[in-house]
Amino acid sequence: MTDSPRSGEDRELVRRAQHGDKEAFESLVRRHQSRVFAVAGGILRNREDVEDIAQQVFLKAYFSLIRFDQRAAFSTWLYKITVNECWDLLRKRKVRPLVLEVDLSEEQARQYQAAEEVVDGRLDASERLAARERVEQLLECLEERDRSMLVLKEVQGFSVEEIAEVLELNANTVKVRLFRARQRIAESVRRRLKPRT
Amino acid sequence: MSNELEMKKSECRRFVEELESVAASGPEEAQPQTVLPQMSNEAREHAEVCAECSAAVEDLAETRRALVAMSAPVAEAGPWFVARVMAAIRAKENELEERSNGVWMGVRRLAPRLVALCTVLLVLGTTWAVELRREDVTRRATLSSAESVFESAPAPLNDDVLVGGQGELP
Repeated sequence: MTDSPRSGEDRELVRRAQHGDKEAFESLVRRHQSRVFAVAGGILRNREDVEDIAQQVFLKAYFSLIRFDQRAAFSTWLYKITVNECWDLLRKRKVRPLVLEVDLSEEQARQYQAAEEVVDGRLDASERLAARERVEQLLECLEERDRSMLVLKEVQGFSVEEIAEVLELNANTVKVRLFRARQRIAESVRRRLKPRT
Repeated sequence: MSNELEMKKSECRRFVEELESVAASGPEEAQPQTVLPQMSNEAREHAEVCAECSAAVEDLAETRRALVAMSAPVAEAGPWFVARVMAAIRAKENELEERSNGVWMGVRRLAPRLVALCTVLLVLGTTWAVELRREDVTRRATLSSAESVFESAPAPLNDDVLVGGQGELP
């Protein structure tokens, strides 16, 4: 991971926070909160869960900060905590509704296609939510880890190396898994959009 | 035949790796017509003959188009979020402090009972030790008196025998 000026500032803030400076930790929260929300939002489905997990992540980070040796970037460490907390929550619940592809009605498929065409800010909140719900259904065909990987890469813009570090995987494994996950998603999209006879 | 298969496999692997490095984020950058020209000649040639790898470029575009709806955040950190986190940290710290104080307070509350218990244990222990010592002394005294009653004459020393024998010699 590159040592940008931003991560240089993070290092200093982490060092101060490790010596008990609460304001330094507050700055770290301010700097990373939106990305933590985005990462958790890519894995979890509802707003309350994302907020709770984000708070839990920073709480955990604060109390584990003393053990953080700064060998990795603070952001990577934080995203690792985020992903693990999200998976823990999903594991605890284990009640993800299994939505089969055949469950999508023709109307839903049509909506899905329409949502793809109108992807800018013109969608209102409920339409955005519905569009997201349809994407969630698409992602159901993937394993939790592959799903997180795909969202981190394609939605959050993480690099393969960052994902490898966050998920503790080899970079080549990440590439191959991404390749397969995309294959499955694309297949599933094509199947849904195929005109029904 | 197996060599050809191996070669194709490794070409596909190289293609996938290159595709990941070339493709930037965003659906518009993932179109095959924008991705392929950025790839090496070797990769482009491979895509022409390998249906699976050329489909991988299409899959990339398709996936990114499909995931656009995910880019709208589920939740965003409100202005209150930092304050909420810091308050949660303070609450947790207080809880931890109270817990450690709780242990100490418990010890203090039980102190008179602990002192009483220790005193009783000390008295019992001392009594037991004294009794043990007394028994030991009594036993030794009994043993030594018994030894004096049944004491036999000391066995003759070898030296005495030798000295006696020497006197009888001519």
